[in-house]
Amino acid sequence: MNLYIDKKDSAAAKNVVVDDMILTKDLATTAGSKMLEGYKSLFAAEVVEKLEGAGYTVSGKANVGELAIDLAGESSYFGATEVDGKLTNAASVIVKNEDVSGAVVLEVNGANMRSAAFSDLVLVKPTYGTVSRYGTIPAACSGETVSVMAKTVAQAHELLDTVAGYDCKDGTMHADEKCALIKSGAEFAPIKKVAIAKSLCDTADASKVDAFKAFLEKAGVEVTVVDAEVLTAASAAWSALMCAELCNNVSRYDGVKYGYRTKNYKNIDELYTNSRTEAFGMLLKSAILYGSDALSTSNYDKVYDKGLRVRRVISEYFASLFAEYDAVLIPVASKNEYTMADVEADRYISFKENRFTAPAMITGLPAVVVGGVQLVGKAFSENALLDLAEKYEKEGK
Amino acid sequence: MTKEVLLRLESENQLALDDAQRDEIVAFMDAQNAEFEKLNAIDTENVERMVHVMPILTVVREDVMQKNFTRDELQAGAPETMDGYWQVPRLVE
Repeated sequence: MNLYIDKKDSAAAKNVVVDDMILTKDLATTAGSKMLEGYKSLFAAEVVEKLEGAGYTVSGKANVGELAIDLAGESSYFGATEVDGKLTNAASVIVKNEDVSGAVVLEVNGANMRSAAFSDLVLVKPTYGTVSRYGTIPAACSGETVSVMAKTVAQAHELLDTVAGYDCKDGTMHADEKCALIKSGAEFAPIKKVAIAKSLCDTADASKVDAFKAFLEKAGVEVTVVDAEVLTAASAAWSALMCAELCNNVSRYDGVKYGYRTKNYKNIDELYTNSRTEAFGMLLKSAILYGSDALSTSNYDKVYDKGLRVRRVISEYFASLFAEYDAVLIPVASKNEYTMADVEADRYISFKENRFTAPAMITGLPAVVVGGVQLVGKAFSENALLDLAEKYEKEGK
Repeated sequence: MTKEVLLRLESENQLALDDAQRDEIVAFMDAQNAEFEKLNAIDTENVERMVHVMPILTVVREDVMQKNFTRDELQAGAPETMDGYWQVPRLVE
């Protein structure tokens, strides 16, 4: 089991790991791909600069699935991570078992949210545009979000406070006063009403949702089950948009300027093709080809354009929910654990399991994973979500 | 998804699959397309595309050079270089 792609000895008081989608100068960054094996960046991601500026030491790079689009890290060229035969990504194993303050990760297709849920950790995927993506490996830029994972809500909040904030190097950021809304100390209205998304609960193991619902009711939070059928559209729409963006983003890897180069070529076309073919895994190749098809002339309107319109439908549906409720409770995965046998039986399982994580990914809304479930809130409502998560931590377990 | 279309996509994306991989990817894409077709039940004719998830205006910063790298630094991770250039096979026969 290869937890770390690279690490350094650290006697620092505050250690943190970042996942292998985030560039570091002194440690290798591979995105879980043979294409970037041993690659060292010339610069560090803005979140790494912020962590180090706040006194954290980045002690290691957590292994990730190739370009972070898989179930829980199983597609990494450097091997899957399992605990007692159960899949969970490297960042979650490190946070759970080692003396670190937490992990800062790039969430793309739910692998971190699922792994946090499998490992009973806390994860915050903040509002899109509140944490800089400068220096992260681009995969699906319109939804991917730098997120934090920790053992406790307090640790997760502290890490979020550190990494959040405007960065002029990321052109998709909110102004600093907006970013400040998600930090500790900002005013918020406590969550009093939660909607449970029935359409997504119907296809998942209900135990975690039921337990969280019981906690909410005991805590005096009004709980209402809503149909939320429209949220089931998020998976297909996000998969198409994600793959379309991924297809463009990985076109930069060609074996010329950096990364893997095949030894098997006689001309430039063979250099490009054989380098990419030998270096990319099957899940990524499939995603590239699906994304390319979605962007092709014959499919652009009926797939890519449709996906963008469905994104607005889902976003507006959430807005209608938030007119009545403060948060939406959604399962994180259909089962509470997965094994290598599951992904060997279906390499593309993450494209089905993302039905639970895609609603927050495609809309950019914040999601907090706690107690094995996720609470999705309106933009900038992280403090309210974390306040409820902290109550669960104290009273619900 | 047909194999003919897949071959074109492979070529456009500079990938080369074997037949078993093509069969697997055709099945994957057929499954994804079938899932996507279910979205046709949602009427989006009068719905505007949503490219950006948040109302963020394009940010423009001062046109001042912040940081630069030397040629050696930029080529440090290159698979092959020669005399300060990235080396590739002959392009013009």
